[in-house]
Amino acid sequence: MDEDLADLVISTAQDLGVEYAEARIHSSHFLGCLLKNGEGEPAMLSNSLGLGIRILNRGGLAFGATNNLSRSNVRELVKSLTNSAKASSKYIKRKVIFSRETSKTAKWSARERVHLDGVSYEDLLSSLQEIDNSIIQSNNKIKNRLLSLNTTIEEKYIANSDGSRIESRVPRVGFFGMLTASERGSTAQRMLQLGGSGGWEVEKKLALNDVCSKESIILGRVLREAKISPKGKLDIIIGPDVAGIIAHEHCGHPTEADRILGREAAQAGESFLKPNEIATKIGSDESYVSDDPTITGSYGFYLYDDEGVKARKRKLLDGGMVKELLHNRSTAKDFKTKSNGSSRAMGYDREPIVRMANTFIEPGDYSVDELFEGVKHGVYIKSFMEWNIDDKRLNGRFVGLEAYNVVKGEITNMVRDPVLEITTPKLWGSIDARASDLEFSAASCGKGDPMQGAPVWTGGPHVRLRGIRLGSR
Amino acid sequence: MVQGSKQRDFVDIAESGLDQALSLGADEVSVICSSSREKMVRFSNNSITAVKEIDTTEVFFYLAKAGRRILGSTSDLDKNGIKEFLDRLLNAAASFKVTRALTSLPNQRLPTNEHSDYDKKLSNIGDEIAELANSSIQASLSSGAKRASGSLSLNEETIAIRTSGGAKGFDKRTKALLNIRAFAEDDSSGHGLSCATKLSNFDPEKAGKQAGSYAKRSKKPMGWEEGIYDIILTPTVAADMVQLIGRASSAFAVESGLSFLEGQVDEKVAVDELTLRDIGCIKGALDSRVFDDEGLPTHENLVIKKGILKTFLHNSTTAKRAKKKSTSNAGIIEPSPWNLTVDQGDYSLEEMIKVTKKGILMTNNWYTRFQNYRSGEYSTIPRDATFLIENGKIKHPINGVRISDALPRQLRNIAAIGKERVWIEWWEVSTPVLAPTMLINGARATKAVA
Repeated sequence: MDEDLADLVISTAQDLGVEYAEARIHSSHFLGCLLKNGEGEPAMLSNSLGLGIRILNRGGLAFGATNNLSRSNVRELVKSLTNSAKASSKYIKRKVIFSRETSKTAKWSARERVHLDGVSYEDLLSSLQEIDNSIIQSNNKIKNRLLSLNTTIEEKYIANSDGSRIESRVPRVGFFGMLTASERGSTAQRMLQLGGSGGWEVEKKLALNDVCSKESIILGRVLREAKISPKGKLDIIIGPDVAGIIAHEHCGHPTEADRILGREAAQAGESFLKPNEIATKIGSDESYVSDDPTITGSYGFYLYDDEGVKARKRKLLDGGMVKELLHNRSTAKDFKTKSNGSSRAMGYDREPIVRMANTFIEPGDYSVDELFEGVKHGVYIKSFMEWNIDDKRLNGRFVGLEAYNVVKGEITNMVRDPVLEITTPKLWGSIDARASDLEFSAASCGKGDPMQGAPVWTGGPHVRLRGIRLGSR
Repeated sequence: MVQGSKQRDFVDIAESGLDQALSLGADEVSVICSSSREKMVRFSNNSITAVKEIDTTEVFFYLAKAGRRILGSTSDLDKNGIKEFLDRLLNAAASFKVTRALTSLPNQRLPTNEHSDYDKKLSNIGDEIAELANSSIQASLSSGAKRASGSLSLNEETIAIRTSGGAKGFDKRTKALLNIRAFAEDDSSGHGLSCATKLSNFDPEKAGKQAGSYAKRSKKPMGWEEGIYDIILTPTVAADMVQLIGRASSAFAVESGLSFLEGQVDEKVAVDELTLRDIGCIKGALDSRVFDDEGLPTHENLVIKKGILKTFLHNSTTAKRAKKKSTSNAGIIEPSPWNLTVDQGDYSLEEMIKVTKKGILMTNNWYTRFQNYRSGEYSTIPRDATFLIENGKIKHPINGVRISDALPRQLRNIAAIGKERVWIEWWEVSTPVLAPTMLINGARATKAVA
């Protein structure tokens, strides 16, 4: 990383009299393998290195990016951004001001036992072929198998005019699978995304053969055994897969402070929470959701955010109460608080904005068996396919894939496509118990304009919801 | 690459990349040097929140050597950097197993004097971009909104290709995109878009007025019941549905089990009135390209003709497997549509409303997700101004609607297609669509339980 180039940005901007300047030299090395129905597609290898710059001038914020790293081009870009920020200030009703934060100098990286630099395409392909074989052996009716495995090494050097200098390296391993079972003239599909930060050892930890093999068997059972889902008011138990997406969509997004302030209104939307509704009760006493970037090995792992603020765990929902929002330095200033290190940029050509990292429903005290014991008549939704939510994050829908009837505390027959369509307060208000288990899935969270996909974990334990209306497709 | 870079710079990089790859022993090579310059203004609550200048240039390689294939991209444009990158690619490829799917790149000459829409005036806009955004905001406010948010971007893209098949091409294009969302109250909002390849066709004020007007008309939403409705999709919503059909028409989607159109070429998949085309390069199209990633000249493909599925979209590899010809939609791995167009129909929006007894008018939607891509079962969420229609008239605005349906059923239940069409591209619709308003009978509308 060319630290001098970052210093050049800061010194040039300071000479021009700006309020704040930030330089991020950001590289990404990607190696990917795609296996479609057992056949390898061409290997994919990409290297990107560039510079992202932010300037605050007269209350205007300008972001610029280039991969032309000549000193003259970088100087010109800084001048241009300084002028653009100034020109935009004519149309600014509310100046962009950052919260004061302690400047930091740090060098951090995700733990990497088997370095990804040494991982070859053949390693990826061989792993995918093993997965493909286990799928076929488990269920030879999985006619379509789209499997992808990739490694990414992301390195950054961030400098700002407040004096922070942060250098980082995050290696990641990511898996995506789309399985289609075809049987008796019908089909069922499962989308899987798993991943983590670290070296090639992550691939083993993900136990992809085992996961895909089990899911393949389940798809077959869905087609052969699943009966029409019951409808009406029932108790529901959701598995960690569903708990994770609920934590992300119904709590993580609505507690992003930039959405609450309306900055993403025309794209990813706003929030049902208003700026004065922090410390509002929106769930039962059993509703606990956190976001924690510092979980070792997580897909959304980081120790300092892209504004140089030290990362920490954020308790978003605490006993049903909105406890904390996700902040960057701009939203923190607006809310008269400090940033909690939620600012992330997904490439040199993307602006750092408020993002989740690893969002999850906190585990509780119950065993999974105890959750079921308390259900006379209900449905257990273990996994899902279709989901969506409105742009205020109030009106959500999750359609189960692996799902079962629960009668007198026992799991009985499989049911097909149960539909949980519910508002956020009703959902959080219906939780009466959480098990002590905790599992995570990986996801790419979309937000921003231009769009940025952020690697995140979503997770949770088994969770029980009382008296929910269930529908079916 | 910076503003002012010449055609020669891009061509030189592509040519040099081709020469180097061949000299290193590659048998098949496609090199694309591509540059994107984007200026953007983002705004919310009537105030500009950020201005952006994003300038990137990358080189993309497809290499095959002795039956082994690899794709690569690098942002390092230095000749030595490219040589080093090519060495890495070919060294990596050397250890691969020989693929059965290898298809030779086509031998094809490209037309030399054609290119997509390029507007120098649009390319030269500087700080005036903030004024354009402000004009849209002000138009929304004067039409009844209290606040507006959105983004306005001006894009210039330049691309050169050289292939071992002899393709030599150069293309450049411009486009301006405005996405504005106006709010009259917290629960009443309207959406407006302006998408154009030339400044003279770009109208941020009109989009602002539309957003403001919809926001005003959607104030005080009232109750409605779950059930079956005829739904009217204005072009923004219709474009989302059409892009899903476009994605499903990719041979890659078919091979991957992600298409509800699988096995239906030459079969009836939609009503007679629906004709869907994918067009590589026409005036006004937002993502025009005169060549695809294999160096074939793009052209028009009739995907659905009067309700009959005529073809999937292919690159050379998927075409070979299907015993067809490429449709010039490469993507080396995944063929995909360039610009989708729906042939115009006979109806005005007013006529569609008039023939609707129990319906919902949708002006925007988002978050479309599938339960099963193969069966086409999905749901989507209308957002912004949404209206209940009863007995041929708009009754009142509604909210909290979700449409839960299946694409095959919808295509067979299109009752009317509009005669006015507009180009749509925005945050939720990434493939440009020349979309009309569409009326679809018998869709299921649901809502969440509070």
